[in-house]
Amino acid sequence: MSAPTAVQPEANNSAFYLPDFCATRTVFVVVLIAQLVALVLTLAGGNRDLDFWIEHARNGAFLLWIALGTAFVLCAVRKQLARLSIARASALVLALIVAVTALISELAYRLGESFTQPGTELGQLFPIEHGPFLLRGALISFIIGALALRYFFVTHEWRRNVEMEARSRIHALQARIRPHFLFNSMNTIAALTRSDPQKAEEAVEDLADLFRANLSEARAQIPLKEELEVARIYQRIEELRLGARLKVEWRVNDVPMRAMVPSLLVQPLLENAIYHGIERLPAGGTVIVAGERNGDMLRLSVANPIPTDPHPREREGNRIAIANITQRLELAFPGQSGIETTQTAENYVVTLTFPCIELP
Amino acid sequence: MSAALKILIIDDEPPARDRLKRLLEELDECQFVGEGGTGQEALKLADELKPDVVLLDIRMPGMDGIEAARHLADFEAPPAVIFTTAYDQYALDAFETQAVGYLLKPVRREKLERALAGATRPTRAQMAKLARMSPTGARRSHIAVRTREELKLLPVDEIRAFIADQKYVTIRHPSGEHLIEESLRSLEDEFNPDFVRIHRSALVALRHIEAVERVADGGYAVRLRGSVESLTVSRRLGGELLRRIRARD
Repeated sequence: MSAPTAVQPEANNSAFYLPDFCATRTVFVVVLIAQLVALVLTLAGGNRDLDFWIEHARNGAFLLWIALGTAFVLCAVRKQLARLSIARASALVLALIVAVTALISELAYRLGESFTQPGTELGQLFPIEHGPFLLRGALISFIIGALALRYFFVTHEWRRNVEMEARSRIHALQARIRPHFLFNSMNTIAALTRSDPQKAEEAVEDLADLFRANLSEARAQIPLKEELEVARIYQRIEELRLGARLKVEWRVNDVPMRAMVPSLLVQPLLENAIYHGIERLPAGGTVIVAGERNGDMLRLSVANPIPTDPHPREREGNRIAIANITQRLELAFPGQSGIETTQTAENYVVTLTFPCIELP
Repeated sequence: MSAALKILIIDDEPPARDRLKRLLEELDECQFVGEGGTGQEALKLADELKPDVVLLDIRMPGMDGIEAARHLADFEAPPAVIFTTAYDQYALDAFETQAVGYLLKPVRREKLERALAGATRPTRAQMAKLARMSPTGARRSHIAVRTREELKLLPVDEIRAFIADQKYVTIRHPSGEHLIEESLRSLEDEFNPDFVRIHRSALVALRHIEAVERVADGGYAVRLRGSVESLTVSRRLGGELLRRIRARD
């Protein structure tokens, strides 16, 4: 299993906006920018001596070298860049872009000079004047480079806002332990204190563990084993309260317990299944928590029976929890996770799909 | 010395019931008579056991406490009701002026004692306010009817039609016909949009309409599930009925 690549937020300098130029995705973006610039140059150039496509191929090839060269250099100096202030790093990156462009231009000029005759068909592809060619290239690369940096900066800012919003929602959700749950649990403990002191003691311990998990700083990811443990603690408390009405079936034997998941992934789903399902059924029912591994992906699902009752309970809480989990999964596994809710006449199922990443 | 207060406990959580039972054991002049876990059970048991006070949980599966209290208020000799709740802000608001009508869980012994001493029936105004503020709305899930001996609860979902007949309203239900003393107008308001008025004297369940037939004089008639006879649709209401049925399907 490979380590997660995209989920490495800058711990020390979260304002640092440059993407990782060693990553394939970023290289692709850089190449794309270069090819677009090449197309613009060809379209604007209108060189009557050359066929349009030949000229475009020439420009494309030339800019591809610049793009790959720039990505290579920026990849190499990434660590050093991260230590600089935003302004300095940006200036340095711009200077590097211009330098790489100048270098590639110089090489192109030399190549044309030594291997081709001016006036021949091949010679037409290479620059003739030395100084102006380099100057034009430097200016164009400076402008495009500045625009690209601006683009990366804006994208990064936007992403950072999304992340911060997600984090604040996590905190909001954690603070929002359902008051009903809290007071009902207290009531259960009050009842057990005399009738079954040992159970009461266990309930207090479970409640403490559950609150600790809910209140702790959102660790980015925890092993699935820990997350399922929190869900089981929650189940034990609810079992005391609901008695035989609540049954939970765990079908998780086939999932790797070391797989890393965002914290509070399963427990809120179990809570919703009980709050909207079991608690509303006079005879109760069974919640099924199932997990399976499918190649590199993990699937977790929580299914609960739903009451056929004329008053659908406020679904607001459920929507918030689902939106919150969606967002945190997306943060942990960008573009690779999915969440799906299906509702039939009798059942409500939430299914999460995300990459299975095991710590060694 | 007066007879002990007969008390019925209704809560869907067994430990919550146990705790109240134990607290009652410690109080003088209180007699625990029974317990149940849903609004339906509250009504059945109250009808059988004739308690003086019902300790009634608000949030329960099936029929909730608020609706149960509304039905209890219609009893011939309604018991006093004390709501118990873990956290229902709206319920507390409904009792702002009178602190004896509800208890917060976990219930304190002194408060239970005080509440029992001052237990009364919720006033009409309190009930109306509770129903209005309840998240489930003012709509009942059941209609309580009294047959010769027992109290019967008809799930509103199963009711086919309400037919007005001079002073009474007849409920058509798979179990038979039942009389209640309510106006068709208030029933229509409460159960809109699930029931549709087809005649000055008839309100039918949209979901149980099996067919709309044309009749000889150019008007319509409605046939309900499990019934052979048809109900006449008044000319004025025919268009609205067809529109609602199309929206349903």
